Amino acid sequence: MIPSDQFVRFYNEVFKFLDAQGGDALEEYYRVVSGQQEMHCLELFKTQGLAGMKAYWDRIAVEENCDMTCTLYDDRLEINMNRCPSLSKAMDNDAGAFPRYCDHCPGWVIPLLEKAGYQCEYDMVDRAVPQCRMTIYPADPGRPSRVLLSGCRHEAER
Amino acid sequence: MLRYRERGELHKDFHGSMNAAVEYVGSRYGRDGLRAVFKATAQRVYRSIYEGLKAGDWSGLVEHWRYFMDREGADYALSVTDEAVVMTVKTCPAVARLHKLGLTPSGFFCDQTVLLNEAWCEGTPFEAVTEITGDGSCVQIIKRKTLNVQGRGI
Repeated sequence: MIPSDQFVRFYNEVFKFLDAQGGDALEEYYRVVSGQQEMHCLELFKTQGLAGMKAYWDRIAVEENCDMTCTLYDDRLEINMNRCPSLSKAMDNDAGAFPRYCDHCPGWVIPLLEKAGYQCEYDMVDRAVPQCRMTIYPADPGRPSRVLLSGCRHEAER
Repeated sequence: MLRYRERGELHKDFHGSMNAAVEYVGSRYGRDGLRAVFKATAQRVYRSIYEGLKAGDWSGLVEHWRYFMDREGADYALSVTDEAVVMTVKTCPAVARLHKLGLTPSGFFCDQTVLLNEAWCEGTPFEAVTEITGDGSCVQIIKRKTLNVQGRGI
């Protein structure tokens, strides 16, 4: 059994394996993970909206030992991950982190949020730094979801 | 000494994520695909355990098993003799979590144990025997390889 504490290091190896298969194997996997996460989140997000999302991520913050703040406003939910335990473990790892490890998170979060009627600005900041920011708001055709890397200085890192 | 020794809360729903991951890789890339991922996990992620086994020392694996089975609240027994380490899992915490989540274990779910143990023993003086004895129970044996001297007249 892989301990639940160490699932992310296994996940990191799955990403490397799928990336090596080429094509859109990795992106297809993110879509499948997003569909599976619906079991935990979709009804909650649809019925309770931003407050339901806050309840979900507040629970995750405790169970995954995250250093993060999750602030609910009338028109949005803001999540500031000060120290992501997932990327931290992938990096604290004798096998090394998959360079695009962070991509799985917006890869499953954004399709699920959009299915629930919301959109998201996901700033991964820098794939080599275990911090990110997410702003979630009701779907707005003028403000589509997007993923940023605001902390990357070089275009090649994006 | 354990290379990874997490403390704090547990997010046991990761066992559900594991179920989905092995089903995804196994159904698309077969057991060879799973074997590749678990080989990388056993020999690169858990490098210190693997290096110990290659040197004939299973203490790192035993410490890892004890720490994380205790942490996950498993019902298990572990015995160590000169010839073998035997871990008898009566209630697997991973399978128990799947049931709590209402998930059916993938046909590949126990490969996380079978293929991990197999990869840990590859190129070492040990061999792994993993017997699934029921839904959420198994016996895992790491034993010293016996020399095949048949036909050599020794």
